[in-house]
Amino acid sequence: MARRVAVVGAGMTRFVRRAQETGKELAWEASREALASCDLSLDRVDAVCLTSAPDAFDGVHMKGEYLSDGAGAFGRPFMRTYVGGGSGVFTAIQAYYTVASGMADVVLAVAEEKMSSTQPHPQGAFLTIFDNVLERPLGPNLLWIFALEMNRYMTVHGLDKRDIASVAVKNKRNAADHPAALLGQADITVDDVLASETLAWPVQRLDVSPISDGAVALVVASEEAARQISADPVWIQGVGWNLDTAYWTNRDLVFPEYVANAARMAYDMAGVTEPRKQIHVAEPYDPFDYKELHHLEGLLLFDRGKAPEAARDGVLDRKGDLPSCPSGGLLGVGNPIAAAGLMKVAELFWQLRGEAGARQVPGTPERGVAQAWGDLMQVGTVVVMGRDGGPPTTARRLDTPPVATPAISLSDAQFRSATGAVDDAIGAEYEWDAGVAVGRFLDGLREGRIMGRECRNCGRVLVPPRMFCERCFRGTDAWVRVEDTGVVQTFSICHVSWDMKPLEEPLLPAVIAVDGSDGGFLHMLGGVAPDDARVGMAVEAVWKPVGERTGSILDIAYFRPVGD
Amino acid sequence: MLEKIARPDEVRRWPGGMPVRHRYTPGVGGDAFFAALRERGVLLGSHCAHCGYTYVPARLFCERCFSELSADTEVGPGGELVSFTIVFAGIEGEPLDRPEMLGAVRLDGADAVLIHRVLEPGEEPLEIGERVEVVVRAEAHRTGSILDVAGFRRTD
Repeated sequence: MARRVAVVGAGMTRFVRRAQETGKELAWEASREALASCDLSLDRVDAVCLTSAPDAFDGVHMKGEYLSDGAGAFGRPFMRTYVGGGSGVFTAIQAYYTVASGMADVVLAVAEEKMSSTQPHPQGAFLTIFDNVLERPLGPNLLWIFALEMNRYMTVHGLDKRDIASVAVKNKRNAADHPAALLGQADITVDDVLASETLAWPVQRLDVSPISDGAVALVVASEEAARQISADPVWIQGVGWNLDTAYWTNRDLVFPEYVANAARMAYDMAGVTEPRKQIHVAEPYDPFDYKELHHLEGLLLFDRGKAPEAARDGVLDRKGDLPSCPSGGLLGVGNPIAAAGLMKVAELFWQLRGEAGARQVPGTPERGVAQAWGDLMQVGTVVVMGRDGGPPTTARRLDTPPVATPAISLSDAQFRSATGAVDDAIGAEYEWDAGVAVGRFLDGLREGRIMGRECRNCGRVLVPPRMFCERCFRGTDAWVRVEDTGVVQTFSICHVSWDMKPLEEPLLPAVIAVDGSDGGFLHMLGGVAPDDARVGMAVEAVWKPVGERTGSILDIAYFRPVGD
Repeated sequence: MLEKIARPDEVRRWPGGMPVRHRYTPGVGGDAFFAALRERGVLLGSHCAHCGYTYVPARLFCERCFSELSADTEVGPGGELVSFTIVFAGIEGEPLDRPEMLGAVRLDGADAVLIHRVLEPGEEPLEIGERVEVVVRAEAHRTGSILDVAGFRRTD
C-alpha cells in the first residue's frame, strides 16, 4: 500500500523574460525558498526530482545533470524526468511516487527553464517535434499545431472567439496580483486580445503565453515527515498521466482524451467520483487561452464545448463557482515551460493553505486539481491535492504571499553586453531516413498514390502508414491504396515563420483526413482564398508533374477544393 | 513482416538540424568572477564557511549546504597541478600541429580545481603535484572571458 504523501513547502522565482541568473542559480533560488518556507535545511532532503524542458533551450546537453547542484542534488539520489510541457506537473508526480514507494521521506521537486538563451527564437528547438520526413519539408511552425487544434475545437462546437479570449483576460488580470508574474495586466479587455496581431489564425498574439525564464520548487514528504515538518500539510491525493498516439494528425483534436484518462486515473486514486462537486479550484494548463478550456473539459469539469461559456459567464473567475488559474496561469504569470507546470501545483498548495494573499479564492477550498500537457502535444499530467478538513491553520501568511523575489530581469542591452557571455551554436546536424513504412509511403507518392497500412485486428487503415499498430501492438497486415481526396479536419492561416518573422503570403496548413483511411496528415491548402477555406471542405491532392517528383511529401504540391 | 532494405545506399536521407544558437551569460556568480578578472586580473572564488570549502570560479550558492555565497575570496595565483593531459587530436579527430597541454589546478586558497592550458612546459615532463601559477593577460587584452587567463605556467 502506498504511503500518504504531502506537499509541505513551495517556492518560486519571479518569471522574467530574461534572467540574469544562470539556470542553476534560478533552480537554487526556488529550491532555497521552498526549503525556507517550511524551515527545512538541505540535509533533511533524501532525494531530488528535477525537470526541465528540452536541452536545446539552455543549450546544455544533459541539462538535468548541469542543473543538479542548484536543485540540491549534490550527493543524493537524483533523476530528471521530462515529458515536454507536461514536465512541471510530472515532477510532482515523480516526487509523489518516490515518497509513496518508501524510497525517500523528504524529496525536493524542482522545475527550471531558461528559454532566453536560445537564439533567434526558442521555437527553433521545437521544429524536430514535427516529423522530419513527412512534415518538416512543409516548413512548419510550432503555432500550427495549436492553431489547427483551436480551429477544430471552435468549429466543431460553434464557439465564439470572444469567449475564448476572455480566458486570456481573466488570467492576465489574475496575474496582476501575483508578485512573480511577468504579464499581469489589471485593465486588459477582450477587445485588446481580439485586436492583437494574428499569428496563425485563429491564434493571436494575446492568446499565447510569453517565453520566460524561471524556476519553482516543492518540498514533498511522507506523512510522518510531513506532520513533523508542517502543521498544515497539503496531501497529494491522486496522480495520473496518459499519452495519446504520437501521430498528432491522427488524434481527436476536439477533445483531449489523454487528459481525461489522466484525470480519471488521478480522480480514482483520490476517491473523487463527482469532480464538478469535489474539485474547488483548478489550475489547468493554459499556454494558449483555448487550451485552458480544452483542458477543463478533459478534466471532466465541464461538458464538451461548454467551458467557453463558463469563462464568459465568470464561472472561472477567482470568485466564480470554479476558480480556474487563480495564479494567472501561463498566460499571465509566464511560461518557463517546465517551471510553469510546477507553478500550478505550488499555486494549489498556497490556495489550499489559504496563503495565496490577493490571489486567494474565497471560502475554504478543500481540493484542487493541477494539470499540464506536452510531449508531442499528447501527454496529460494531473495532480489532485487536498487538505484535511477544517480551516487552514497557516492563514498567518496571508499578508505576505510566499514567493521568492529574485530572478533579476536583464534588459536587451544588458543581455547583449554581459561580461563573460559566450555565443555558440551546438552545430548538431542530422540525416534522417524514412524508415520502412514511410519509405514505402514516399515511393507511392512518387507514383501518384497515397498508401496506407491496414491493421486487420482493429480494422483501421493507417495514414501515415506504420508497420505496427500502436493500439493493437501487432504488426500491420497489408498495404492499401487509399484515395487522393479527403476532408479538411482543420486549417490555419499562418502569417509568421517559425522565428516569428512576417510572411509575405499567408500559408494555409491543414490536417487532411484521407478518404479510405482512418488517418490523415499535415499538408497545405492551395487554390483557395484564405477566407474561403472551411473545416469539412472536400479536397483533392494536386500532384507535381511526374518528372518533378522525388519521393517526398512535397510530391503533393497542395490540396485544393474538389471540383475546382 | 519487415521488408529489409537490401541496398542501404538507396535509402533516402533528409538532412537537417535544429536551427538554434545560444547566448550563455555567466549569471550572478559569473558576473563577479569575470568583472574582477577583467578589471583587476585576479581570480575570485567563493568560500562557504559552513562547509569549509572554497569554490572557484565564484558562485552564488554552496551546492553542499545551499548557503548563499559571494565572490569573497581571491585565489592563486600559485597552485598545484592535480592532473594534466596532452591532446594530440582535434575535435574531429584530426592531428594537431602542436599538441596541447591541459592542466587541472588547485589554486592556492581554493578547494575546487580549475582547468586551463599549460603554457610552454619545456623539455621536462609534467608531474602531478608540481607547482604552477596562473598567467593573466595584460589588461589591454582582457575582455572578461576565461581566455583572459592565458594558462598555467610551471614555477619550479
